[in-house]
Amino acid sequence: MKTRDIVCDSGSLITLTSSCLDRLLYFFAEKHNVRFMIPKAVEHETVGRVIDENIRKHIYSALRIRQAIDDGIIARVDADVSLQGSRLMNAANNLFYVKGKPLRLIQEGEAQMLALSRSVGVDYLLMDERTTRMLIEAPIRLKTHLEQEFGVNAMVNKENLRRLSSELSGLRTLRSSELAMLAFEKGYFDDMESRKVDMLEAALYKMKYSGCSISFDEIKSYMESVSRTVA
Amino acid sequence: MTILRYLREFSQSILTSFRKRNQRALRKINDDVLSAAATELDKNLFDLAVLSYALSKIVSKPRFLDREYDSRLRAIERALSDLLDMSNAPDEQVSRFVHAVEKSIGSLEKDDPRFITTIINKGKLKMAATLYAQGMSLGVASEMSNLEQQEVLDYAGETMMFDRIKDEKGIRERMKLARKFIEE
Repeated sequence: MKTRDIVCDSGSLITLTSSCLDRLLYFFAEKHNVRFMIPKAVEHETVGRVIDENIRKHIYSALRIRQAIDDGIIARVDADVSLQGSRLMNAANNLFYVKGKPLRLIQEGEAQMLALSRSVGVDYLLMDERTTRMLIEAPIRLKTHLEQEFGVNAMVNKENLRRLSSELSGLRTLRSSELAMLAFEKGYFDDMESRKVDMLEAALYKMKYSGCSISFDEIKSYMESVSRTVA
Repeated sequence: MTILRYLREFSQSILTSFRKRNQRALRKINDDVLSAAATELDKNLFDLAVLSYALSKIVSKPRFLDREYDSRLRAIERALSDLLDMSNAPDEQVSRFVHAVEKSIGSLEKDDPRFITTIINKGKLKMAATLYAQGMSLGVASEMSNLEQQEVLDYAGETMMFDRIKDEKGIRERMKLARKFIEE
């Protein structure tokens, strides 16, 4: 079976572990040969830093992620993407100007994730973090949002827009919620039998409340399609 | 405008509104300080936003307007005045003045500081989540507030921020992509 690679951000791993749905990673790794990849910065953010600083509230999540790494379900990739990451970060953080100042949109971890995907030739990203996702999918919509939030016009640095569009072209993002929906379609919840649809819906709401950037309308829309299929 | 000028202007506004115990004004100032913190990406401004939030909550509690709290409220006003008076102080000294304001707020309830501690912690979370909602990334919001990404995500998940922007792609299109990923 062909290996399907996907690079993950911190947000998606955090959402999955917070929702006790990290077994989805195992399901896809074992049944569909998916390889979940992370850069060093994501491992540091989700595991290293939490354990080193003994942040008790989040140690359980950190250990779950570490276990998945030890089990080979998540692959930490040691590629040095610092230069590429810096370039991407520089372009993103000098893309929009508000009141004459560039808005800092992303930080090192997020930039390294993007750089890693380009470096290893992986087009799919598992990403719950909304800003980076919008930078890839709809930078001008992000600009509009920033203007609404700050109540002023945002200027666009066209050169950086061009650079980002070129570097990020072809990247496709999935959220952890899509992973759960896909898992449902592939039988992950089948052992729940008559409760499997309820379990899926509960899982999606749990993920939303854990910070996955999915809306109530999207959950409702998908559940309606599931109900039509199951009926 | 320089950071120092922002800090002075906001400190003045906060001090004036706090003296008048004007909650509404403090909340408006809070929005302005946070907006400046986002555009200037300044930690001191962020901390000041947290403190203005905390002060707005304090003045909303009738018990803090009792006489027994007079001296402690005046201590907060003095700390704000000191912040206002700093002139061309280097960054690390500015932080000291900001933290002095936080300390004076923390001293409001020495016997049972839970309310104040909670307010300040909640203020940090709320400000971080607001930055994320405004369009900064989770990583930037986490870095600015010195909070864990998970902490910010947990709070953000409880808000309506993900419902306010219509997504570029509908769920059907996203699921087509997800199926393509697995079936390719």
